[in-house]
Amino acid sequence: MKTFRTFVTYAALAFLGLFLLYPLSLVLNASLRLDGTGALTLANYGSIVASPYYLHSLGNSLMASAMATVLAALIGVPLAFCLARIDIPGKAALLTLAALPLVLPSFVAAYALVLLFGHAGVITTAMRAIGIPIGSIYGLPGIVLVFAFTLYPFVLMPTFAGFRAVDASIEEAGRNLGGSRWHVFRTVLLPVVSPAVMAGALLVFIEALENFGVPAVLAEDRPFLAVDIFKLFAGEADSDPASAGVLSVLLIICTALILLAQRHYLSRRRFSTNARSAPPVLPLSRGWRIVAAAFSWGAVLLSLLPFAAVLFISFMKFRGPVLSWEFDIGNYVMLLRGSYEPLYNTFLLATVAAVVTIILGAPIGYIVTRQRGPSAMALDLVAMIPFVVSGTVLAIGLIIAFNSGVLVLTGGWLIIVIAYVVRKLPFGVRSASAIVHQIDPSLEEASINLGVSPFRTFVRLTVPLMASGLVGGFVLVWITAASELSSTIVLYTSRWSTMTVRMYQLLEGTGAGAATAAASILILFTCVPLLLVHRHLRRQEDSLL
Amino acid sequence: MTTIRIDNLKRTYGTVRAVDDISLTVGRGELFTLLGPSGCGKTTLLRMIAGFNEVESGGIWFDDERIDLLPAHKRNIGMVFQNYAIFPNMTVEANVAYGLRARKVATADIGARVAQALARVRLQDYGPRRPHELSGGQLQRVAIARALVVEPAVLLFDEPLSNLDAQLRVEMRVEIRQLQQSLGITAIYVTHDQEEALAISDRIAVLRSGRVEQVAAPEEIYHQPKTAFVAEFLGGTNMLRGVAGSYDGARTEVMVGGARFLVKGQVAPAGRQIMLSVRPEILRLANEASGSHVEVRLKLREFLGPVQRLHAALPDGTPIKISALSGQPLAARTGDVLHLSYDPAQIIVFPGTS
Repeated sequence: MKTFRTFVTYAALAFLGLFLLYPLSLVLNASLRLDGTGALTLANYGSIVASPYYLHSLGNSLMASAMATVLAALIGVPLAFCLARIDIPGKAALLTLAALPLVLPSFVAAYALVLLFGHAGVITTAMRAIGIPIGSIYGLPGIVLVFAFTLYPFVLMPTFAGFRAVDASIEEAGRNLGGSRWHVFRTVLLPVVSPAVMAGALLVFIEALENFGVPAVLAEDRPFLAVDIFKLFAGEADSDPASAGVLSVLLIICTALILLAQRHYLSRRRFSTNARSAPPVLPLSRGWRIVAAAFSWGAVLLSLLPFAAVLFISFMKFRGPVLSWEFDIGNYVMLLRGSYEPLYNTFLLATVAAVVTIILGAPIGYIVTRQRGPSAMALDLVAMIPFVVSGTVLAIGLIIAFNSGVLVLTGGWLIIVIAYVVRKLPFGVRSASAIVHQIDPSLEEASINLGVSPFRTFVRLTVPLMASGLVGGFVLVWITAASELSSTIVLYTSRWSTMTVRMYQLLEGTGAGAATAAASILILFTCVPLLLVHRHLRRQEDSLL
Repeated sequence: MTTIRIDNLKRTYGTVRAVDDISLTVGRGELFTLLGPSGCGKTTLLRMIAGFNEVESGGIWFDDERIDLLPAHKRNIGMVFQNYAIFPNMTVEANVAYGLRARKVATADIGARVAQALARVRLQDYGPRRPHELSGGQLQRVAIARALVVEPAVLLFDEPLSNLDAQLRVEMRVEIRQLQQSLGITAIYVTHDQEEALAISDRIAVLRSGRVEQVAAPEEIYHQPKTAFVAEFLGGTNMLRGVAGSYDGARTEVMVGGARFLVKGQVAPAGRQIMLSVRPEILRLANEASGSHVEVRLKLREFLGPVQRLHAALPDGTPIKISALSGQPLAARTGDVLHLSYDPAQIIVFPGTS
């Protein structure tokens, strides 16, 4: 038993050490070296801190994340309450739809905003034609909106679970003791769900802070941390790896602090009360029920509207950047005329990455769930680090690490797969660990007792028992890898370009029409697998959190 | 048939001595029970034998072979788990065949041996079923068949009946005992239920805080407990604090709660504090004061069907329980004085004031 666990632990630590910690240490190292001489210095930090531009960049990023977090909570908490406690038509469908924005590529939503409300946007032009000017959505307003509407499920899902987890009898006891409904809500319900809200909100903050795609589409020339890191490292004109390193370190510190705060907050509170009977539906008047239904459906549909708009527009005819209202598949023809390669690459890279992530994540999830002791704790900690590292920063580290020396990976497909695997590993680990929690340890002991070695027990008994859960984890990893932009944009080569990279390039250039086609293909890449394994996914949503 | 020898076994968790220097020998074909309250170390000890808990020091021997250094899957031990641990993704047959496959038994033989094992636990028609179609008792029998089919050297039971309802528990323990005796297999059985332990065992070891309090056959451990803990844990007893008085050459007088008890032999010098264990069933209702007797005042009567339990008090108020057969008519009412007679030889004396 010990040898198997030790082997997995050390193999996983070695993998993460080589492809996560080592590259990150090189990023840190780059931030501490003087340009040219290579001497150790803090001067890079000094010059960043002294630069109004980069302070502005940091400020913008923090501001956008904070505003998006508040807005996401304002959408997520009432929605959670409505879904948990009010009789709303189509509740099951609503719950499924509300989880979608988490896996749909957020920069596609950002692009939809540009298509609709941008300088040459459909709605902007139409409104301008009838004399109503529309304010600019570039910069903070658009970015905050997109973040809030794509990340609110992070708040919604745990809060919904929190509202559901309050046993009916607790509320009844509160009422029985003489509290009014409002009093019970304030003194019983809110304290029970507030850790869930807090936990979800902090995740929104982290995701927003790290996100590259949305500001890349919507920031125009306003400085944003994630975009600046990319430009400083990969920009042709003003390449400055040291400054990129400094900003990366700052970004990691911010996200790590937030994640630590989130973990600390959660560790001191338990919000499940082990509900035996789900809380009852609130007896509301017809009018209030209609308001609740309108709000819930409105919020969810609004969050999906950009994706629907992109799908729709992709079948319209573009003349240069200008849209005309004729049905046409020319956008797809134009997109794929060059080659099918990005399509094929996306499919291949996501599949290989998902397979590897699950093969790696399943044993790690198993160990961190079953095993106690320092090595399991170290593994748990290290496997969660990718959460706080943005894709761009990881990719930069990988390039510095494997550009030369014994192991040269840059320019190939493997380095992209490695980036995906490292980034998605927390998903894999968490979805595996969620299933392992449900498998009674005595099943494995029974198998070992009957003469099957621990390793073979894991392969022949535990893995089959985990299988249905792992399918869900696999699909989630596949979807999010297929729509990954932030590390791909740093690591791709012309031979290994992906759909997301194509879309980014088309946005930068003049291929608005083809970009909508690329965006639509990414949406399909998300929705089709989800539909295929819908049954398996219900239990999996928690592993996203 | 195998003899199990446990030598100076130790295991600590932090500062807790879960198994504190235990030595035991289990004879061939014996059903040996580890009995004790939760946290006494009985499950830890069983899992050390199975190989799921590490041995800190000491050794475990099956006949002349030391097994505590072998990995768990090479020990050839059958184990029946508290929650059955039936593989939910396999049929009943596949569950029973699992250990045979692991031992690379020829496929041709597996079918016959599985059928035989299922027949032995009266589940011959259940092979193709899935575990979720079976009741708790049936699952437990599958677990037993699965443990037996590999012909293990030793069989371990980890509180196997605790998830069953009361009536089934009694039926299953008879079944387990008969099966174990007919196979003549050496078995170790863990339970916290003293009645189950008394009913099923050849010998019982009572454990407390990682140590063995007493090892003996059921009758002996019940009638001649070596410590106050054993006396109280098995069957429940009146543990009464008293002071030894004069010795008349055959019996010692002991003053307890304002009453006078007689105990066989010279148990302690006069004036010494001692504890008496007076089992509720050795106290008999008598019509008048004669022989060894004591007077108590009735507080409450519980009618339990075959027996009735009387809650009474000694003159100073110390509570004392009496159990009497229901057939014995009782006219007394709450507050009345009862005369109780007893055999002085059946009272057990422990030193001190534990």
